[in-house]
Amino acid sequence: MSKRVLLIAAVAVLAALPLTFGTFWINMVITALIFSLAVFSVNLLTGLTGLLSFGQAGFVGIGAYTLGVLAKQGHPPILAGLYGVLLAMLCGFLLGLPAARLKGHYLAIGTLGFGILIYQLLTNSVDITRGPMGLIGIPTGGLDKQTWYLIMLSVCLTMLAALAYIDRYSALGVVLKMVRHDEIAAQASGINIFAVKLIAFTVSAGLAGLSGALFAAYVRFLTPDLFNEQESFRYMMMAVVGGIGSPLGGIIASLMLTMIPEGLRVLGEDNYRLLVYGTMVLFVLWFLPSGIGGLIERLRK
Amino acid sequence: MSVLELSGVSKRFGGLRALSEVSLSVSPGEVLGLIGPNGAGKSTLVSCITGVLRIDGGTIRFQDCDIQRLPPHRRARRGIARTFQKVRLADQLTVYENVAAGLASHWFARASGWPSVFRPLSAASVAQAVNRTLERVGLGDVSGAIVKSLPFGQRHFVEIARAIVSEPNLLLLDEPATGLTEPERERLATLVKDIAAQGCAQMLIEHDLELVGRLCNRVTVINQGHHIFTGAPAAAQREPEVVRAYLGMNLLISGGGDDACG
Repeated sequence: MSKRVLLIAAVAVLAALPLTFGTFWINMVITALIFSLAVFSVNLLTGLTGLLSFGQAGFVGIGAYTLGVLAKQGHPPILAGLYGVLLAMLCGFLLGLPAARLKGHYLAIGTLGFGILIYQLLTNSVDITRGPMGLIGIPTGGLDKQTWYLIMLSVCLTMLAALAYIDRYSALGVVLKMVRHDEIAAQASGINIFAVKLIAFTVSAGLAGLSGALFAAYVRFLTPDLFNEQESFRYMMMAVVGGIGSPLGGIIASLMLTMIPEGLRVLGEDNYRLLVYGTMVLFVLWFLPSGIGGLIERLRK
Repeated sequence: MSVLELSGVSKRFGGLRALSEVSLSVSPGEVLGLIGPNGAGKSTLVSCITGVLRIDGGTIRFQDCDIQRLPPHRRARRGIARTFQKVRLADQLTVYENVAAGLASHWFARASGWPSVFRPLSAASVAQAVNRTLERVGLGDVSGAIVKSLPFGQRHFVEIARAIVSEPNLLLLDEPATGLTEPERERLATLVKDIAAQGCAQMLIEHDLELVGRLCNRVTVINQGHHIFTGAPAAAQREPEVVRAYLGMNLLISGGGDDACG
């Protein structure tokens, strides 16, 4: 019972916290929460199912640009966002068809190639995306930052609860973990590995697409550079620092890794701050080889 | 009527003929021993039955259906379960979770079963089957233990539990007695008889010939991919070709193997 009270109190504090923040930081937190959905999508693929993806930014870009382009054409933003998620899922499914047969390094390179492909498409389809000139003034205004924060908080907490349930308590969690751990044994238990991987790709792409759609709706400005392979690496890094397979760690890591580089601006505007940042990440992995999620597990015990 | 019927099964790996024209059958409730020296093709045969390997010739019929074109997971869903020579469990998961995974062949057997994977693992339907199976194999008290923390012998039983939790029609046991202590071996023997009594057909691949002699109604002996004998275990010891295949190997065979090789 006391645990539940604690949980409610924590959520209440989280909901009230931004009231004390300035615009700069609340912006940061909202963006980090939006990113954390993309980190979730990495966690779902890599953490639960054991598939390595370095192309998640591609799906984020698909979700973002679908919303951006359609909303500018006058479609209602919510519908445009939904199309974005569906298109990302379709692309995830299509990528999954060949990719679910690949393993390890080959899969990593295959997904990386997909990410680059989407980036090039976004950059070069100037007629639709305006390419490097960027998509400006996406008409999705109307919500203030407080509301955005609360929306993102509830979306993230819902995802967190759903993933934690699947991972720890559901039959599906065991199926996914069997696939990750031992494909031969999983098959012998009647699990269609290819189908499971394909579904994981599709759902993960949908989550990344949702992250992109929310990003487009919130920031209202898109350029292809926001979705290049560096972003894919960043999501992977957030998932790893957060602890692969730990959605809560993923959220914390995306908050930390978004805010720390900004906070380090006190060191000056030089890129030295990125050196400090990189060293910090290395140290986290040094002392917490299983990431923040591993630390949470240890504290729980 | 036999549950499993292999006729003229052949498998080549490049120039190597791993199996040539092997035929055998197993009936409900029967325990068929599959023996042969190392490298005889026993594990290859199991892989062909479960679908991990595709055969190059012959037919595999399971419950009167041709299954040779089915992928492994479909064969599992039809009721072919197996254990592995080298135990394949998810080490970091609990015994309960590992055994529950065996129910996947039920969950996915029909498209309508898919939503059931969103159920909690502790749901009555899952818990009932898993707990009953764990009691049956004598692991009732370690249900919540992480597999990694179990002694090696116990893990064999976890694997058997995972295989039988779905109540298969055919169980392939690939060297289940390897590394077991004497009491564990007896437990295994009782368990195999118990599974047979429920009408499940079993194929026992085992180097422990004493155990094979005790548990199996019939044995099939293969050597270098060729079927050389099928019949009562006692008759196998008198068969010259079997003796020749095992000649000089009796020192490697533990327990009752010495007399079996005559």
